[in-house]
Parts: sequence; C-alpha cells; structure tokens
Amino acid sequence: MAAEPPGVIGKGISIRGNLSGEGDLIIEGAVEGHISLKNHLTIEETGVVQADIEAERLTIKGEMSGNITASEMVAVLANAKVMGDIKSPVVVIEDGAGFKGNIEMDVPIPDGIL
Amino acid sequence: MADTSTIVGQTILIKGNLEGDEDLTVQGRIEGAINLSQTLIVEPSGVVKANVSVNNAVVSGIMVGNLTASDSVEITETGRVVGDIKAPRVIIVEGALFKGNVDMGNLEMPRPAPSTTTTRRPSYIPSPPPRRSEPARPIPARPAPPRPPLDEKKPPIAVPKAVVIPPATKETKKVETPAPAASRLSKKKVVVKKKR
Amino acid sequence: MANVIGRSIVIDGEISGDEDLVVQGTVKGKISLKQSLFVESSGVVEADIDTQNVEISGSVTGNILASDKVELKSDGRMVGDIKAPRILIADGATFKGNVDMDR
Repeated sequence: MAAEPPGVIGKGISIRGNLSGEGDLIIEGAVEGHISLKNHLTIEETGVVQADIEAERLTIKGEMSGNITASEMVAVLANAKVMGDIKSPVVVIEDGAGFKGNIEMDVPIPDGIL
Repeated sequence: MADTSTIVGQTILIKGNLEGDEDLTVQGRIEGAINLSQTLIVEPSGVVKANVSVNNAVVSGIMVGNLTASDSVEITETGRVVGDIKAPRVIIVEGALFKGNVDMGNLEMPRPAPSTTTTRRPSYIPSPPPRRSEPARPIPARPAPPRPPLDEKKPPIAVPKAVVIPPATKETKKVETPAPAASRLSKKKVVVKKKR
Repeated sequence: MANVIGRSIVIDGEISGDEDLVVQGTVKGKISLKQSLFVESSGVVEADIDTQNVEISGSVTGNILASDKVELKSDGRMVGDIKAPRILIADGATFKGNVDMDR
C-alpha cells in the first residue's frame, strides 16, 4: 500500500454510523457506532468514541467506550479513559490511564506451574 | 514501619497465608493468600498462586489470582498475570501478558459528542484504494439525529450507508469550503458592527 | 542470597525449600528445609521443623527433626521434642521436651 497520509476526523466532527477502511485514521472528534480498520487507529486527546472497534493497532489518548479487537496491539496512554473489553496479543496501559473492563491477551502458563 | 524486607528464595515454597507490614520479594513460590501493607515484588522466577491484597505490586513473574492494591499494580515485560486487578493505577508494559478484569474505580466516562466551536483543521477523508476491505455491517438507513443548536454552523454529517465514504460526496465538498465559510463569518461580523 | 522472613511477617502454612531460611517474624504450621533454619531473636515459630540444621535465638514451639545439628542459643526458648545427632544448648536458653540423639 502506498503511504498515504492518515485520514483525520477533526475536533468539530461528529459521526454516527460505521467507519471502515484500510488506511490509518486519526479521530479528534466524536464517533458513535462501529469502526473497522485494517491499519492504525489513533483516538486523540479530544476524541470521544462510543463504538466497537476492530483494527490492527489502536492508540488511545482520549475517551472510548466499547469493545476492542486488535490483531497487533492496543496502547492506552496516560490521561486516556477507556471502558470496555480488549482482545489483543499486546496491550499496553500507561501510568495515569483510566481503564475498566476485561483484557484478554494470550497468556501461556506452563502446565507444571499450576 | 518496614525496616526489614522479606525475601522468599527460588527454591522456597510457602503454602498458606502470609501477612505483614513490609515489602515482600518472591523468587520462589507462594500458594494461598498474601496480605501486605507494603509492596509485593514477584521476580521473574517467582510464582504466586494466591489472592493478593497489597499497597503496591510489581509483577515480573507468574501470578494467578486476584490482586487488589490500594496504590498501584505494574506488570513488567516478563510478567504473566491471570486474574482480576483492582487498583487506582494499573500499568501494563509492552511484553507483559495479562488476562482478566481491570477495575481502576470510577472513571468519568465518555460524554456524548462534545459541543464545538472551531475545528483545528478541516477533516480530510482520503480517497479509498481501488479494492475495498471486507464490507462493514450495514446500519439501518437513517440520517444522523439533529445535533444541539451550538453546532448549527456545521451541517450534520449523515452516513446513509456503512462503508468507506467515497470521494464524490458532500463531505469532500464541505472540506473545500473553509475559505468561503470564513468569508461568510467575516461578513456576519461586519453585519453586527453595522447594526451597532 | 539468604531467605529472610522479616519481623512483621506472619505466615500460617507450610514452608519448604532447598535453601537456608532466616525467620525474624512468625511462622505457624510446618517448616521443611534441606539446609539450615535460623530463628532469630524476634522470631516466633509454632511448627514442626524438619531440616539439616536449626539455630534458635527466638522462640520455637514444636518438634524438631534435624539431620545434622540443633543449637539453642542463650536467648533461645523451646518447647517440644528434638531428634538430632548433635545438640547444643547454651547457658541461658530455656528448653522443655525430649531429646533423642540416637543415630
């Protein structure tokens, strides 16, 4: 894929519905519904998202409620607020982030241990 | 106060209840329950199969059980935790593996779409590549509900069908209007002045 | 690095391992080590003990089985039976129980 600039949903924009695509997307405004992205979704500090999200990578700096399924990684940065379940091989939660919900990563625990 | 610090070495196994007012470093294995007013450190060789109630916890080994901390929980890159965590601060570092519930207490949760004044930059929705990704689930065809009056400068964006917004729609045309919108605004200002 | 159960720690259960263990806190239950147990002066042990060596400066209530030696220091206090090939009880220690040095 050619490196095109990421899509941006600006601060003053409100979307209710389904979003999907193959490029990177930056959300600074409000989205309610469902998001399905093949690449990297960033919810900026001003972003407010109430949606279930499927993406390859997700970086959250703003507010989000909904369930997340990521094929690569989810990062919840400081000052973000997230409520919902996350299913992803890698989940990072920074000090100062707010999170409430389930996290499911693959946790291999050797049989002999337990 | 905690003068001493307890170390449970690699070959040590403790089965039972452990409580205390000092830090505890686990390099071996503890099964049962742990109650500390200070910090629990599970080193990479440590295995804790217990419900834990502490001030702080730093897990670099294996932990299975529920963890309640009054201050913070950190799972480091070698940590593997299965269980529920309840703490005001939770840090999960890249490389850590975790499965369970995280409860940081009350969060101010997402409000509905915030009222806006100016946009920092116009929205840019790129043209989609020739191939489409798998179709998203269609939503019932209805226009976006009317937003509160504060937003009247911006027409609501209706997304009639799901899927990627094609280039040839109203949205991109709106993107091109910031200049005319600005001039409209300036015209309005002029009108106000004249009225005065 | 020695294993240390610090002063404010209370363990109710079983401890086992292949290393030395220093008890400055309280242990109730059972202690089973391949090496030495040191009960320091602040230590309180209410447990049956099965180790190689035991050195007591604190309080022990329970039976001791040692494969090498049991030493009760001058501030040590013990109630229980001792079975070990070598036993040392210092002046000042208090002890109540049976002693069996049969090899």
